[in-house]
Amino acid sequence: MPMRLPPYRPLSPEDVRKIDQTSRRILERVGIRILEQSHLNILKAAGAIIDQSDQKVRFEAAWLDEILARAPSQFILYSRDGKNDVHLGKGKVYFANGGRVFRILDMGTGGYRLTMLRDVAHTATLVHCLDNISLYIIACQAHDLQPQHYHLNDFYHALNHTTKHVMGGCDSREGAEQMWELSVFIAGEEEELREKPFVSVITNPISPLTIDGNTLDILSFCCSKSIPVTCAPAPISGATAPATLAGTLCQMHAEALAGVAICQVFSPGAKVLYGAVPTTMDLRHMEYTMSSVEMAIMNGAAVQLAMIYDFPIYASGGVTEAKRPDIQSGCEKTFSNLMVAMNGADLIHLAAGMLDSGNSISYEQYVIDNEIIGMINRILSGISVNEGTLGFGVIEKVGPGGNYVMEDHTIEYMKEEFFYPDLSVRCNFDIWEERGRPSMLSRANDLVDEILDDGREGLLDTDLILEIKKKFPGIQNL
Amino acid sequence: MSDFKGLTEAVIKGDIQTAVAETQTALDAGANLQDILDKGLIAAMDQVGEKFSTGQMFVPQMLRSAKTMQECMKLIKPLFQEDELATKGKVVIGTVRQDLHDIGKNLVAMMMEGAGFAITDLGVDVSPKDFTQKAQEVGADIVAMSALLSTTMPAMRETIEALQEAGIRDKVKVMIGGAPVTENFASEIKADSYAPDAGSAVIAAKKLLSIS
Repeated sequence: MPMRLPPYRPLSPEDVRKIDQTSRRILERVGIRILEQSHLNILKAAGAIIDQSDQKVRFEAAWLDEILARAPSQFILYSRDGKNDVHLGKGKVYFANGGRVFRILDMGTGGYRLTMLRDVAHTATLVHCLDNISLYIIACQAHDLQPQHYHLNDFYHALNHTTKHVMGGCDSREGAEQMWELSVFIAGEEEELREKPFVSVITNPISPLTIDGNTLDILSFCCSKSIPVTCAPAPISGATAPATLAGTLCQMHAEALAGVAICQVFSPGAKVLYGAVPTTMDLRHMEYTMSSVEMAIMNGAAVQLAMIYDFPIYASGGVTEAKRPDIQSGCEKTFSNLMVAMNGADLIHLAAGMLDSGNSISYEQYVIDNEIIGMINRILSGISVNEGTLGFGVIEKVGPGGNYVMEDHTIEYMKEEFFYPDLSVRCNFDIWEERGRPSMLSRANDLVDEILDDGREGLLDTDLILEIKKKFPGIQNL
Repeated sequence: MSDFKGLTEAVIKGDIQTAVAETQTALDAGANLQDILDKGLIAAMDQVGEKFSTGQMFVPQMLRSAKTMQECMKLIKPLFQEDELATKGKVVIGTVRQDLHDIGKNLVAMMMEGAGFAITDLGVDVSPKDFTQKAQEVGADIVAMSALLSTTMPAMRETIEALQEAGIRDKVKVMIGGAPVTENFASEIKADSYAPDAGSAVIAAKKLLSIS
């Protein structure tokens, strides 16, 4: 959604400068620990300072700037049908669901269960049908699969149920290779996929200031194939980062810049999103807290930090600690999604479907969050003021005491001026009783049933499905 | 001439000028009156109802279509023999005494008119006496009252009493509505029907007069 509103800025320009300088000092003096010698060698050859004794890479300022300058400020996360391309770095705000949970709240039983492969297909179908979620992130672990076939199956069933861009975490270079081979096969040619990558990969450093060899293997592979990536730090304020918001941002910014820089060493010009998943710890009982208001402010601030370098950002919003779609989930999700959106983040992930501190999902939460995001998009588009919308002509025509219901002016503007929710209950009391007292949740449940009843069949061409299954025998049916 | 495509499209769009012109063209070409009504106007309103129920049309558009149909009816109506074309029923409607809120009442009036009722709209701040006199004068089938304020709701009871005193309570059905009004209140003051919104008001009115 293009922003019309002036952005919300939690940090002053001076604050931004101080945080950035501190982050650069961290990178230069403290460094990032790299737990794999071969990668240290690559970085050394590229000009980084290596502390061999404690496996650290340090980024001297001039070298850092030189490397970071290679990173693109704009690129596209392609959809397969061209209808939902995500244009990063263009001042638009996009939302994605969140990934790799292990539990699902099953409204059929009312209880929680482990996630299965079918949940990947179903969540992909939901995202495919929900207008305000722009790309699909592999939502959950398929507990009914052998680990060696995770990513082949994740991505296959995702790509078979949505034409939107598919992003996912990979556990290993082998997993990333499976995903890539499958994607090349679907694209037809390797060059096709390189030109218009419709898949991308999420990795994370380990806060504080550590990146493991496996993560670097995945990044190195993806960058070499022009698959967009992010290496998104998830520091926890008070646990794996200082117990101050500024301190957490300094460390996160250093980690995020290191991720971008290392990818540029691997493949100059690699499509990298500056990543940000800063959260907090509730130190009363050491409860991990994704959805604190501090998380919302920090993710907003992260947008300002990415902007210094003109990097598209993969920020976070829409998380909750609530275990069910309820009042807590509604307000926590709205706070962070809205605040981060009002900062103009390119991509807000975790924005839909999540419950339970990022450990669980619910189908209903996908459609509820889609509606929250719809409201946020409406807020971002602001108030349109022009000759037509000012409406003097119609005010003069109706005059005192009339009404505007049947005026041309009303009919001309009513669709674009207002957000029309699918789930919010707006009918009056008697009609509400007549309809069996619906709630946002009951209506979400109805909508989920409607979408999944229609959308269970795959989207890929039947012949292609047969060819894929022949070529990739590890693919399991739902 | 059996093709009323231009007419139905204009009614669906709520384009009064074109619809009236299309009606005139059909009349000039000697089209059957009942066909213009059934295959043109009513067919259009059926599609409007369909589009409304699937969310493709909003209330203002539906009202515009209803109004467009009414304008076309003005051309056709005089050409029917008196007993050939009956309205669905005569409705006297208004906002009750000391209440100046009329958007809800206007919506009900427009929807009922679109559905084929003959509407006499008395406006706002209508006294029990005025309701009664007008109902007698036009031979109303229904008296419909609206109130937005809980403080003006008692005027509904008084109006019903006035209808009784005038000896016409058994000749008219009384419908009430408005934000604070409930089904319970309706039975308490012995109104015949209560409707929570404009769409239900049309259904309720048809039910009261036993028409489909």
